[in-house]
Amino acid sequence: MSAIDRMADRLTRTLAQRTSRRGVLARIGAGLLGAAATPLLPVSRAGAGIPNGRDVPPTTTGNPEDPGNPRSCDYWRYCGIDGFLCSCCGGSASSCPPGTEMGPITWLGTCQNPADEKHYIIRYNDCCGKFACKRCFCNRNEREEPKYRPQKNNEIHWCLGTKSTAYTCSVAAIVGVALERDDAGGA
Amino acid sequence: MAFVLVVAAAARAGGRGQGDPRLDYILQCQGCHLADASGAEAVGVPRMKGVVGRFLQVEGGRAYLVQVPGVAQAPLDDAAIAELLNWMLQRFSADELPEPFEPYLAEEVARHRSRTPIDVPATRAELLARLERLEH
Repeated sequence: MSAIDRMADRLTRTLAQRTSRRGVLARIGAGLLGAAATPLLPVSRAGAGIPNGRDVPPTTTGNPEDPGNPRSCDYWRYCGIDGFLCSCCGGSASSCPPGTEMGPITWLGTCQNPADEKHYIIRYNDCCGKFACKRCFCNRNEREEPKYRPQKNNEIHWCLGTKSTAYTCSVAAIVGVALERDDAGGA
Repeated sequence: MAFVLVVAAAARAGGRGQGDPRLDYILQCQGCHLADASGAEAVGVPRMKGVVGRFLQVEGGRAYLVQVPGVAQAPLDDAAIAELLNWMLQRFSADELPEPFEPYLAEEVARHRSRTPIDVPATRAELLARLERLEH
């Protein structure tokens, strides 16, 4: 027997004597569980390394009737938005960045303009054709409804009917003024 | 602040709609059918402009316009649906309407809405076949 064989023989025998098979299984099991639990630990991962709008300078519409910073999730028109703001991605609150194409179909909701307290109808179109912008992610979802009511759902990938189905960012364009119903009772 | 909640509640709970068929169309239909009702055939949204009124020319078509899921499941009550259909038909497809056009009433909407077909695409295909036969 060569020296290497003798050494391997001794090592395996020692290992077999000192450890139980169940012990090994238990340790592997614990390792697997631990690996599964690690992502649950409270570590900030969302947006790690992504600018997410922190380096995007604020802007205004320049119109006192349309107040707020369109590069912020708090801007009134974004009350139902779910996605990256095109205004942080080379476009504006209602126009797509160059090189992207606006999806023709989408959902519509209403948001209240704090300047005149009227409710405006907003369409939330997706801009498509480039990689996800990954800046200024907003997810406000006001008056958004589940997918069984698609005309009111913002989780649908609305890059439909465009040349590319790659989602880049979202806009919030004003379509009209909703009625202020004061006769609907209650609520 | 009260009316804010009222509008939100009306939009969420459904029911009477905006009280204006044009606004109901914008909020419930326009996202996919587009402002001029031209639709997006490439992704399966049928064109209604210059087309939708033809359904009234065949048996079952009048009920189908109420029973098609986008209409039957809209968060609007029967009266609002009736108004919306009458407005849509006259605005987007006036030339295809039968003479005289008999407007929908809430009672008729309720009747059709309570018995929606199980196989919607098959119902639609049958209606289109009937329309086809009508032309020949």
